[in-house]
Amino acid sequence: MSVGFKAEKGTGIHGWGVYVPRYLLPLDDIARVWGWAKQQYAGLGVESKAIAGPDEDSTTMGYEAALNAIRRARIEPKSIGAVFFGTESKPYAVKPSATIIADALGIAPITMASDLEFACRAASEALRISIGLVSSGMMNYSLVIGSDTAQAMPGDVLEFTASSGAAAFVVGPASGSAAFFEGSFTYVTDTPDFWRREGMPYPRHGEGFTGEPAYFHHIINSVRGLLDQLGLRPSDFDYAVFHQPNGKFPVKVGKILGFTMEQLKPGLVTPIIGNTYNASALIGLAKILDEAKPGQRILVAPFGSGAGSDAFSLIVTDNIESRRGLAPTFSDYLSRQVRIDYSLYARYREKIRLMPK
Amino acid sequence: MAKILGYGLTRVERHYDKGVRELAAEATEKALEHSGIENVDFIVVASSLSYLQEPQLDIAGYLASFLGLRGARSFAVEAGESSGAAALQVAKSLIDSGHASTVLVVGIDKLTDYPSQETYRHLQLLYDTYSDAFYNIGHAGIAGILMRLYMKAYGVSREILSYWPSMMHSHGSSNPYAMLRFRVDPSKVHSSAPLAEPVTLMDAYPLGDGAAAIVMSSSEGPRAGDPAAELVRIESSTGFPSPALSDDPLKIDSLAASMSRLGISPRDLGNVDVMEIHDSFTITGLLILETLGLADRGKAPESVAEGRFTVGGDGPLVNPSGGLKSRGHPIGATDVYKAAEIVMQLDGSFPGVKAQDARLGLLVSVNGFGSSSYVGLFKSV
Amino acid sequence: MSAPIVWRFKESKQRLVGGRCDSCGRAFYPLTYGCPYCGARSVKEFVLPREGKIVSYSIVYSTTDAARFETPIVLALVDLGVARVIAEITDIDPSEVSEDMKVEAVLRKVREEGESGVIVYALKFRPLLVDGD
Repeated sequence: MSVGFKAEKGTGIHGWGVYVPRYLLPLDDIARVWGWAKQQYAGLGVESKAIAGPDEDSTTMGYEAALNAIRRARIEPKSIGAVFFGTESKPYAVKPSATIIADALGIAPITMASDLEFACRAASEALRISIGLVSSGMMNYSLVIGSDTAQAMPGDVLEFTASSGAAAFVVGPASGSAAFFEGSFTYVTDTPDFWRREGMPYPRHGEGFTGEPAYFHHIINSVRGLLDQLGLRPSDFDYAVFHQPNGKFPVKVGKILGFTMEQLKPGLVTPIIGNTYNASALIGLAKILDEAKPGQRILVAPFGSGAGSDAFSLIVTDNIESRRGLAPTFSDYLSRQVRIDYSLYARYREKIRLMPK
Repeated sequence: MAKILGYGLTRVERHYDKGVRELAAEATEKALEHSGIENVDFIVVASSLSYLQEPQLDIAGYLASFLGLRGARSFAVEAGESSGAAALQVAKSLIDSGHASTVLVVGIDKLTDYPSQETYRHLQLLYDTYSDAFYNIGHAGIAGILMRLYMKAYGVSREILSYWPSMMHSHGSSNPYAMLRFRVDPSKVHSSAPLAEPVTLMDAYPLGDGAAAIVMSSSEGPRAGDPAAELVRIESSTGFPSPALSDDPLKIDSLAASMSRLGISPRDLGNVDVMEIHDSFTITGLLILETLGLADRGKAPESVAEGRFTVGGDGPLVNPSGGLKSRGHPIGATDVYKAAEIVMQLDGSFPGVKAQDARLGLLVSVNGFGSSSYVGLFKSV
Repeated sequence: MSAPIVWRFKESKQRLVGGRCDSCGRAFYPLTYGCPYCGARSVKEFVLPREGKIVSYSIVYSTTDAARFETPIVLALVDLGVARVIAEITDIDPSEVSEDMKVEAVLRKVREEGESGVIVYALKFRPLLVDGD
C-alpha cells in the first residue's frame, strides 16, 4: 500500500533544536501531594518531568527550539518559506503562535505560517507537509516546531507525565542536510482515546483505551507501512524513537515491532523529562541527532491521539558533525535543571486559583 | 521678580477621607489666607497621578471652580516627580513675562486610593516605558540596580548608606507636615523588608497623599512684611531616559546641566543655607549630593554619617523637612512642598528643624533617575 | 497594554532592535528619532547583540500584579558590549545572580492583560546556557 510520490529522498533535516525548561518535578512529589502509592505510578517508567517557568508558554519554548534549529541549519531566517507550529497548548485559542515566532525570529513576512492541531502529532504531520513543500520546489526551507506545556488535571494519572518542552527542525533539500529522509508514512483513524473540549482547561482520556486501539495500533501500522514501502527491516536501523507518553509504551511498541533496547535507548527522553506531547518523539530524534554518526539510519514514529501516527526513516550525512556544536544540545539543557517541589510547580503553572482578573 | 506671598501645606498621610479636590482646597485656602489675597490670575496645577488614582482630565479647570476661583486661567503641568518644579518654572515665567501678576501653584497627588501593587504600576510609569519600564520593574527596581552599582563602584558598605534615611527621619520627626514622624536607627534601615534589593522599605519614600500650594506674585503683598521670599531663578534640563544609556550612571547628568544653567558652581553652594532635595530613595539623595558637588564621588554616605548636612554640620542643611523619605512624596505635589518649606526656612517660620539665619535656599528635583531635573534658587527678602 | 501598543513594540522587544547614530557612531537601546548622545537625526535601526554580562542587578519584590507569579523579579543592567540595557533576568534563583555573570537573550512572557487580553512577549536574559569561551 502506498500513497503519493517518493518525494522524501529529495529532502532532509538541515537543523535541529530542542528546548527543555529549567525546572524538574520528581514524580514522587506529585504522589506525596495526591496520596498515591509508589506501586500506582512506578509502572509509568518516569522519574521526573520538566516544568516550564512562570514566564514560559509553548510559544516561547518553540521560539527557542526554532532558534537552535536555524542556527544549526546555518541559513538566513528570511529563506524559510513556512513555519508550522504543532501544539495542543496554544497560548491563544484563536491567534497563531507561528506568526509570533516567525516575526520574532526574522522569518516573516514572506512565509507561510500556521498552528497545527492533532494532539501530540501535529508537528509530526508538519514534517510530512514540509517534505512535500520542499520536494515540490515551492520553497527551500520549512520550519517545523513541536511545543507543549502539557496540561493535565491535578491528581490525574496524566499529571504524573504531562511536561513541557519543544523541538524544531529546518527541513530543506537533501543536499546539504544533516540527515535526509528516506521515506515517510502516515496512518490515521477516528479513535477518541484522548481529547479536550473547547474551553476546558484539561484533557480527558480513556485510560487503557489510549493503549492498544490507539497508541499501539497506529504506531505499529505506520511503522509497518513505512518498512514495507522501503523494503527495510528493524535490524536495518541504528536508532528507533517513538512517541513517549510514558517510559513503558515506547519500549513495548519497539519490541512488538522487533527493535532492540540498544536501538530504543538513545531516543528515550520521557523517563527524565516526562511527556512533552508534540515534542515527545521529536526531542528523542533531536537527541539522537546530537550523537548520531554519518551513515546511520534513524526511525522516528510520533503518535497523536484522535488518532494517528507518522513514521519516518532518516539517514545521517557527513554534515552532522559540523552542525552539532552550533546550538545547545539536549544534554546542555538537562545539565542546568533544578528540582522543584509540587508547590512551586503549582505556582509556576498557575494551578493556584486566584480571583478572576 | 517672582515673590512668594504665601503657602499652604497639608500633612502627607493616607487621606482616605479626602479627595484630590478637598486636599487641594485645604492647601489653597491656607496659601491664599497667608498671602492676604482673594483672587489669582492663573492657577497652575502640578499633578502626575491624578489621571490614574482619582481619575480626572482637565483637573485644573474643575479644581478652579471647586476652589471658588472660577474664571481664573488654569491648566495642569505634568513632569512626573518633577511636576511641582515644572509648575513653579511655568508660574515664574508667567510672572516674569508679565502675563500674570498673581499665580497660584497647587501640587496635588494621591497614592493610596488603590492597593500598593496597583500604585506601583502607576509609579512604574515614571520610568521609560519604551525601555526599562516595559518590564515589571515596580517603583524601586532601578534604584536597586543603582544602589548596588554604587556600593560596588566605591566599595561602600550597605550599612553606611543607612545613615541617610536615619537623618531624614530625625529631621522629619519634628515636622508637623511629615508623614513619618518617628526616628529610625541606621541598623533598622538595611534590616527592614526588601523592596528591590539592596533597597529596603526604609530606603524608600512612603506612599502618601498630599497637597501644597504657593502664591507667587510680581508685586508686594497687601500686608506688611510680605513677601515671604523670592524665587530668584529656576532652571531645568532633560537627560537620559535610562541609566543604561549613561556612561556614568552614578552621576545625574540632567541635574548637573540644570545647575550649570542656574549658574551656581559647587563652590557657590557654600552660600546656600538650606536645601530640599529629591531623596525618593537613599541612593537618589546620595547621587544628588555628589552630582551637586557637595560630596566627593563615593563619599556622600560618609559625609552624611558624619553629620555634614544636619544641624551643626559644615555643609548646607539638607532636607530639614525630613525629605521625601520622612515628610513623604505625593509625587506631583512634592516640589511645591519643597518650595513652601524653603520659603518657611527663609522667613523663619518653619515649624521643625530650622536653618540658622537662612538667606538662600535651593530646591532640587529629579524625575526617576534624571529624565528631567529642576533646580530653583530662593532668597529671603 | 492594548494590542496596537504591544504590536508596535515587537521589533524593539522581540528582536532587540535598537539604534545606531550615523553621525557619532554610538549604538543604543531603544531606537530613537534623534541620537541620545549627539542629537543628530541620523539614527538607523541596529540589532543589538544577544549576549552580554550583568553590570548590576536588583531583586525586586515591590512589583505589580502582572508579576505575581514571578516575583521576586531579577532586574539587571546588562552590558551588551556596544550598548547597555536594563532587562529582566529569568531562569535564575535570586541567590544565584552575580555581577559579571554572562547572560543571553530569550523570548519570554512579560505580562498578560488579564485572562482574555493580549500576551506581551519580550526578550529577557538568562544565564548563558553554553559558554563558548
